[in-house]
Amino acid sequence: MDINPDTWILLDWNGWHINATIAFTWGVMAVLVVASWLITARLSDGENVSRWQVMLEVIVTGIRDQIAEVGTETPGRYLPFIGTLFLFIATANILTIIPGYRPPTGSLSTTSALAICVLIAVPLFSITQQGLGSYLRGYLRPSPFMLPFNILAEATRTIALAVRLYGNVMSGTVIAGILLSIAPFFFPVLMQLLGLLTGLIQAYIFAVLAMVYIASASRAGPHHTHDPAPEPSRNEGE
Amino acid sequence: MRPRRRGADTVQFDWITITAQIANFLVLIWLLKRFLYAPITDAMARREERIATRLSQARLARAEAEHEAQVLSDSRKALKEAWEEELRKARQDAAALRKQLQDEARNEISQQREGWLAQAETERADTLHDIRLRLNKQVFTVVRRVLSDLADTKLTSQVANAFTRQLETLAPEQREKLADTIRKDDRAVVESGLDLPSATRSHITRAIHQNLADGAEVTYRLDRSLLLGIRLTIGQMTIEWSAGRHLEKLEKAASEAIEAEFAEARR
Repeated sequence: MDINPDTWILLDWNGWHINATIAFTWGVMAVLVVASWLITARLSDGENVSRWQVMLEVIVTGIRDQIAEVGTETPGRYLPFIGTLFLFIATANILTIIPGYRPPTGSLSTTSALAICVLIAVPLFSITQQGLGSYLRGYLRPSPFMLPFNILAEATRTIALAVRLYGNVMSGTVIAGILLSIAPFFFPVLMQLLGLLTGLIQAYIFAVLAMVYIASASRAGPHHTHDPAPEPSRNEGE
Repeated sequence: MRPRRRGADTVQFDWITITAQIANFLVLIWLLKRFLYAPITDAMARREERIATRLSQARLARAEAEHEAQVLSDSRKALKEAWEEELRKARQDAAALRKQLQDEARNEISQQREGWLAQAETERADTLHDIRLRLNKQVFTVVRRVLSDLADTKLTSQVANAFTRQLETLAPEQREKLADTIRKDDRAVVESGLDLPSATRSHITRAIHQNLADGAEVTYRLDRSLLLGIRLTIGQMTIEWSAGRHLEKLEKAASEAIEAEFAEARR
């Protein structure tokens, strides 16, 4: 059985191949964008608000509140990045209820891509907020001796983020396949349900971790000398 | 139909896919920002702004209403206070007016009473005065009548005796004066209230001759007004002893006393 949608080539054209990861990612994107467009095309700022708009508002406000809870003063600044992380992963995981669908988050390429995005976003946000010099000086804290460890921490953080998401989603698929061969009919259904739950949790953890990394990096500036928020333990959801 | 496989079922990094996914993710961020976050946050911001505007308007309206209510309440209070003040003033005025009217009435009554009392007193004094005068007159009238009724020859001779004693006891200078007058005139007139008997006449004539001028002519006349009395007239001078004259003097003195007392009472 396939556990890696990267190896599932849907279209091959002049040496360019479109694998399932990319195709399903486009599908998820299409679902998100079209749904958003359909709802936000008829937005109301009065008293009568449609249920769909309320749903979107709840989601957006919830994400914003979560970002604010991590400790940033301007949640609107991080909303597109963190929100998109959460929405993409959550939607990609929830859509597993559709037969034949394979979540793109089950591919290490996708999770790596997202982790790389976080890896780039953390210094980017930090630099735009406090300047390049201040960000670079953060690597020398508390002493220049810590520079290699700080760089190592940055790299392992990104890898951990990627592998965590990949492992969780892929494991869901693997467990479903194994159970299907051992005990068909009943257990796979339960595992699908469990997969929905872990998929949402993973989306939440990924987004919150990204935000924590960004926030701690931003706080490491000269004006924020207090300790960064404690990172969530490394084994949640696993 | 089974899809074609590329490679084995191994975990591997497909850098092309990773790059494509990064691009996809960035595109998704842009799209969602364009179609989801911006419109939703804008709409919420607009709604919040509108709610805030309405709330502030409501607050303003409420403040205005409260202000109006306060103004109304103040004006009502002021009106009530003014009304109470007016009422109090009116009551005070009424009380003052009543007191003034009472005082005026009391004064008027007291003045009237004093006037009445004074008038009554005056009337009483007048009446008393009249009564006294009338009584005085009556008394002397009665006395005169009694005297005229009682007057007889004997009494007349007693009067003549009294007259002659008066002549005898005249002051020397008066006697001298009378004697001078009678010497020039050589004539004396004796008037009496009753007809004098001849003995009495001669007694009188003798007394005149002895005391004043010897040989002077003495004429006798009757004058009822003398009542009981005798008057000697020599030229412009007279000597008289008369009950009528005494009574007149007495009456005059009594009248003067009554008048004086009346005047004193008037004052």
